[in-house]
Amino acid sequence: MKFLDLLRTAIGNTFRSKARTILTVIAIFIGSFTLTLTSGIGTGVNDYIDKTVAAFGNQNALYVQKVPERSTPGSGQEDGPTEYNPDRANVQTGFGSIAGLTDADIDKIRDIDGVESVDPMYMVTPTYLQAPDGKKFQLSLGSPSEAEGLQLEAGEIPDRTADEILLPASWVEPLGFDSNEDAVGKTVTIAMSNAAGADRDFDVRVAGISQASLAGASTNPIPSSDLNKKLYEYQTSGSPRDVPNTYFTATANLSEGADVGPIKSQLADEDMLGLTVEDQLGMFRAVINGIVWILNSFAIIALLAAGFGIVNTLLMSVQERTREIGLMKALGMSGGKVFGLFSLEAIFIGFLGSAIGAAVGVATGSVLSGILSNGLLSSLPGLSLFLFDPLKTVIIILAVMFIAFLAGTIPAMRAARQDPINALRYE
Amino acid sequence: MTAPVLETENLVKIYGRGETRFDALKGINLEIGKGESVAVVGKSGSGKSTLMHLLALLDAPTHGVVALEGKPTGDLNAKELNELRNSAFGFVFQQFFLTPNQSVLENVTLPLKIAGVPAGERKRRGMEVLDQLDMADKAENKATDLSGGQKQRVVIARALINEPSVIFADEPTGNLDSGTSQVVEDILFGLNRDKGITLVVVTHDLDLAKRCSRQIYLRDGQIVPTPEKAASDVVDRQPRPAAQPASADDATGAIRITEPATGEVITLSEADAAELARAAQEPARPGKHAAPWATDAPDHSTDQPGATA
Repeated sequence: MKFLDLLRTAIGNTFRSKARTILTVIAIFIGSFTLTLTSGIGTGVNDYIDKTVAAFGNQNALYVQKVPERSTPGSGQEDGPTEYNPDRANVQTGFGSIAGLTDADIDKIRDIDGVESVDPMYMVTPTYLQAPDGKKFQLSLGSPSEAEGLQLEAGEIPDRTADEILLPASWVEPLGFDSNEDAVGKTVTIAMSNAAGADRDFDVRVAGISQASLAGASTNPIPSSDLNKKLYEYQTSGSPRDVPNTYFTATANLSEGADVGPIKSQLADEDMLGLTVEDQLGMFRAVINGIVWILNSFAIIALLAAGFGIVNTLLMSVQERTREIGLMKALGMSGGKVFGLFSLEAIFIGFLGSAIGAAVGVATGSVLSGILSNGLLSSLPGLSLFLFDPLKTVIIILAVMFIAFLAGTIPAMRAARQDPINALRYE
Repeated sequence: MTAPVLETENLVKIYGRGETRFDALKGINLEIGKGESVAVVGKSGSGKSTLMHLLALLDAPTHGVVALEGKPTGDLNAKELNELRNSAFGFVFQQFFLTPNQSVLENVTLPLKIAGVPAGERKRRGMEVLDQLDMADKAENKATDLSGGQKQRVVIARALINEPSVIFADEPTGNLDSGTSQVVEDILFGLNRDKGITLVVVTHDLDLAKRCSRQIYLRDGQIVPTPEKAASDVVDRQPRPAAQPASADDATGAIRITEPATGEVITLSEADAAELARAAQEPARPGKHAAPWATDAPDHSTDQPGATA
């Protein structure tokens, strides 16, 4: 029998007991539909992360933190206290002190090969932000290095040396501006207190309006580099004793093409931890991928169950068609061809289920994605929750067909082994 | 006698072993000439179906040789056997074994499909053979929508389509009423006469057997010279009251095989065969051509248990 005839016969046979075929196809459909959707989520979110990483123009930035010398559970050090080290500087926060970077640490970072410059992050805690109409708002500032490459809705990134600030789009209306364009160029006031308790207002020009993003950076207003430093200097002034400079994090700007790996290990030698944007998003990506894989595994379990459905369907079919198989074998059809015929039936059932499942999955995902990005996820422009990679979809269909083939081997083998004499004697 | 198309030498088939050992065939020697029509007659368990399976290369003998066109088939591998069966043999079974939901044409062309013949040629040859059997107008009908006689004609068309040298018919009229049986027999013997296709008929119907040019009687796996023992048991086994015991066949005097129980086969001369055929053409009991128990067998019963085993 020619392959094409075999295929045509197999397809014809699958429609012989329609109800059974349809039920099996539905089982596969469910698995394939779920798998398509979950992989769509994976692709969509990862694509968004990629775009966000790309949006950070400063891909050469390494975010450096001090590694806490605190004993961590499981490290084997929790048995005893850690000895006091006067060289370690802690950043004072409202909820205790955190190991911070000292000026000496900053110098060490600067000395590492491949590091072009280091921007320590000043922890500036303004009292409030005052809108032109006099309304006051709580304010915590983002890091100037985060402004680089943010997607802007209006205006520009604050000039490094000017007293300028970047506002998130969601702040425009509460601050009393008519529109993003209206806000750009207007002046807002940042109120600061120093260590001696003296207040001072800083007038700041709105340079631009940023789009919200999953990176979370642009949910806070971002001052220019110099403004940030100016605010910090005022904040630490007036102290009765000299406060040593400590920084929560610092941004090491790497030279073009520098290898991140060795720099990270050198930082680690100095009890510091360096993370690239990708590393930071990588954690997020790992969580997303974890969730996606949990969902995927549900889909795969559904597919395995559907596989047993195929085994069952085809076993019944082999049983029913015993005499037909016997006749074909008597008429000279080889066992291999009989195996092929039933395998093709299994594969075709798998194809039907997976192709329909994938098609409906893509359609559903695309519609849902459209609805969500206008509703629930509208605060994250650029994110389409479901994104369908044609290659992945084809792989899903092929994988399901392969599972179907595997499921079909048991009945197909039984059919192929049938003895024509016994089969024709079958009553 | 023409050159034998099928020969066997000391054919032995044993099923099982030890306690359950069953000797189905105990050393069969026979020759079937080209163009002959041979009836294999015997009661259930006589080994007639086993003999047909071995002759048709559907099964391998425990001992002995089956030769096709003078060539022993014991050394052939599965693929060669498949090809041989596909090209040289046609099969007509008591149960029609038509694939439901497929058209008559598709059913008829199945052997060509298995042989890998292109679709166009399949259709042409299928229509040709259906035309021969006056079934061309039913080509697109579903096989299940036909009457018993029509079904058996489709089965014969399927057996014919590969232009076989031998047609094996296992109780070909077992499921048909007497009128239809007559038509189907006429077709089969017509093919034997006009096309020179060798016919091997397995049956317990002595009237059908008589129409063949030669009869081989089997009992307990051996060839026996006379039909009495072989046939009377068949009648005894029938659940319906046998109004006319088959012993009446003795009266026709058509049975002339006298080979000894050693398995020696004495082939009838052509003149004898012609005489036999003539004798068969004159029904001893008009209107009761088929065995009496078969006359009211349901026409449509594709799933009737056959008495072929």
